[in-house]
Amino acid sequence: MIPQSHFLILSALLFSIGVFGILTRKNAIGILMSIELILNAANINLITFGKFLGSPDGLGQIFALFVIAIAAASAVVGLGLVISIYRNAKTILVNKLNLMKW
Amino acid sequence: MVAHLIPAIPFLAFVINILFGRKIKKVSAFVSILACGVSLCLSIYTFASLLKGHGSYTLFKWLIFGSTSLNVGVIVDPLTCMMLLVVTIIGTLIQIYSIGYMKDDPRFSRFFAYMSLFMSSMLGLLLADNFIILLIFWEGVGLCSYLLISFWFEKISAAKAGMKAFITTRIGDTGLLIGVFILFFSAHTVHFSGLTAISNANPLFTAAALLIFCGAVGKSAQFPLHVWLPDAMEGPTPVSALIHAATMVAAGVYLVARCFGLFLAHQPALIWVAYVGAATSIFAATIAAVNNDIKRILAYSTISQLGFMMIGLGVGGYSAGTFHLMTHAFFKALLFLCAGSIIHSIHAQDIRRMGGIFQKMKITGTTFVIASLAISGVPPFSGFWSKDEILSESLRSGHPYLFMIAMATSLLTAFYMFRLIFLVLFGKPRSELHPYESPKVMTIPLAILAIFAIFIGLVGSPFMHNAFQTFIHPGPPENSEGLAPNYLVMLLSTLAAALGIAAAYLFYMLNNKILPLEIRNKFTLLYNLLYNKYYIDEIYEFLFIRPSIRLSRLASKFDSGVIDGAVNACAKAVVVLSRIKSWIDRYIVDGAVNMTAGIVGLFSLVLRRVQTGYIQTYLLIAFFGLALIIFIKLIGG
Amino acid sequence: MSGLIQVLNNSLLSQDAVIKATFYPIAFLTLFFAFLVVMSRSIFHSVIYLAFTLIGIAGIYLYLDAEFLAIVQVLIYVGAIVTLFIFTIMLTTQADTEPIRGTVRRMWAGALAGFAIFLILSKVITMTTWHIGLPEAAFVNLRELGRSLMSKYALPFEVISLISLAALVGVIVIGRGRKR
Repeated sequence: MIPQSHFLILSALLFSIGVFGILTRKNAIGILMSIELILNAANINLITFGKFLGSPDGLGQIFALFVIAIAAASAVVGLGLVISIYRNAKTILVNKLNLMKW
Repeated sequence: MVAHLIPAIPFLAFVINILFGRKIKKVSAFVSILACGVSLCLSIYTFASLLKGHGSYTLFKWLIFGSTSLNVGVIVDPLTCMMLLVVTIIGTLIQIYSIGYMKDDPRFSRFFAYMSLFMSSMLGLLLADNFIILLIFWEGVGLCSYLLISFWFEKISAAKAGMKAFITTRIGDTGLLIGVFILFFSAHTVHFSGLTAISNANPLFTAAALLIFCGAVGKSAQFPLHVWLPDAMEGPTPVSALIHAATMVAAGVYLVARCFGLFLAHQPALIWVAYVGAATSIFAATIAAVNNDIKRILAYSTISQLGFMMIGLGVGGYSAGTFHLMTHAFFKALLFLCAGSIIHSIHAQDIRRMGGIFQKMKITGTTFVIASLAISGVPPFSGFWSKDEILSESLRSGHPYLFMIAMATSLLTAFYMFRLIFLVLFGKPRSELHPYESPKVMTIPLAILAIFAIFIGLVGSPFMHNAFQTFIHPGPPENSEGLAPNYLVMLLSTLAAALGIAAAYLFYMLNNKILPLEIRNKFTLLYNLLYNKYYIDEIYEFLFIRPSIRLSRLASKFDSGVIDGAVNACAKAVVVLSRIKSWIDRYIVDGAVNMTAGIVGLFSLVLRRVQTGYIQTYLLIAFFGLALIIFIKLIGG
Repeated sequence: MSGLIQVLNNSLLSQDAVIKATFYPIAFLTLFFAFLVVMSRSIFHSVIYLAFTLIGIAGIYLYLDAEFLAIVQVLIYVGAIVTLFIFTIMLTTQADTEPIRGTVRRMWAGALAGFAIFLILSKVITMTTWHIGLPEAAFVNLRELGRSLMSKYALPFEVISLISLAALVGVIVIGRGRKR
């Protein structure tokens, strides 16, 4: 069997890559994609714990299911916002969207 | 007990005349004369009460210091009463005369105001029973003298003369003041009654007596403080008559007489009185012999006669000196009034321009001659008796040299007086003159004074058993030989007078001034010396006046340079200080404020970089923070 | 995994070895594709790599006995969300020459942050001793999943539907623009 910690390490790596992507990508959609990665890492964690700790009524998987639904909703809204921003600012590169600068 | 009113009523007249003079104009004279007349009546009354036996009395306690107290009181004794009568009679007559003399003067009422003030001060001086009150009135008469000498102050010479009089008498007054201080601090009294208690001779009191005599020297114009009297002739003639002939100058003699007890106890001081008097009298007489101004001749005559009085007092002749004081007052006042009458009519004072006035001014001329006879010591006029007293007294008390000087002075007196008479009244007129007799208001006082000049001497003559002497000096006479008439002296003095008159007649009537001219040419140096009054004024100018002025200029320079300089330096220092302060305020204080603002700005410049506007930057920081927190949690435990 | 196990029962390899032999490559591939997602220059390529990553994750779900979730992952994530991404990219691409990735400095900072996070997490993971519950109880079949979803977790279920509705409405509102 694959030990639990390997799964966790995997999710941690995925999480770190997602963080790296958030902080690095200039394209707003790229940032959204990195957010999806993070969410997926969280999902792996959830399911891992669900399996190894014993989830009554399949709690782990149900939780992960909900996370997927939420992630979908957030991706939808985020992309809608991106389109709106694109319409107004003619760009979706975050280094150009600095209206809050001093 | 009404004596204290005697000075008060003329003072009231002064106040009225000063305040309302402009409104009442000519009535002011009436006010003044009325006041004087009332004082005269009161003086007679006081005299009568003295004869009845009433004496001095005190009015009230004035100052109290320590154990002594200063009482204000009135002294009523023979000397004072005699002086009161003399002053009030002469004062009233002269003020009546002034109505005519000052008729056209614009400051008519002020003149009478000053006259009243003078009368008040003089009478107060005579009635004072202690030195302090005497000093107050002493200053009062000095003030009035100043005011009246410079009455016509538009003339520079008159204003200067007033100042000269005041300053010169001031010098004498200083000595008087110091003398009074010495008396007070040693004897603890300022009352005249206390002076009789000083019987033991004390060198301190000798000094005090001499210092008191200093005051007399100033007021009575003795050498060396005589210089003010001739210049005082700038004032109106009634002023010269009243103040500078009859009354004020007599105040010095009165002072010595008043302190006679003190002087008697300290013979060294007393004999100096005689010496000074003798020197003055011969000195002034020589100057009068060559002077050409009618009033100045009379002024030097006054100086000379006052010296004569001092001789009398100085040799111990209390009654002799005071007797001459009384007679002199009358005939000198008369002389001045006559001179005034002449000046009033012809408006000239130089005798070289006069002559033959007797024709047109009979009354003036007659009274003039009478007064001259009196002053020359021709019997039976008043002057003869009083001069004779002094002469015999000086001989009797063992001062032959003083006697000789006095004799010489008498001769000179007769000479210059008749020189004056012959040059002014007789002979041919030497210039275009239009003399006319003065109005009655002026000639009647002349006549009355002439009567006094003739007869007043008799009260001290053997014919009346020397009533004056016994009156004035109650108690045993100072000399046990009594006052037996000294016929030798009488003869000698009459001879001297005759010689003088003859010489004057010779010089000025017979040879028509050829002889005097010859003498003058022969003794040019002496003549110049006499004519220029021994250059005393010039010497004083050089010795005292110029250095004083230089000193005062120096002081003024010091004041403006140093003191003002100090003030200016202070001001400059303040300005500098304020500039520094403003610099501090501008650069340091504002600098601190600006610096604070600058620091804040700097910080903000740095710190605002945090607000980049990029979400990724914020997230970066957030993640770092998260890692840090978890790390700390891990480490912690 | 039981079916797969049965399939592999017939083979000569042991279960464990097979599992192990296949898991690590899939995991590695997933991570590789994830890495490519964040590193690629073109946004199109990123989306494709994202799709592959998500499929890889679905595969990992299989190793965790979550077959239903794996299928849901593929259907929803790859099928709907990635499609959405592609659409949005199509609508918002501009043909400019700006580099997609951030500056070098930002990349290093980001890398550092990511690395820090990873370090922390791994520290936690290795530090703790994980309980291992009953493997049997871990098996959750679909029937039970459905039943619990409708009974015990009915509330979150309804809430999810509400959230979806909200997202739907919101996106329409946002996407509508101002000019109407």
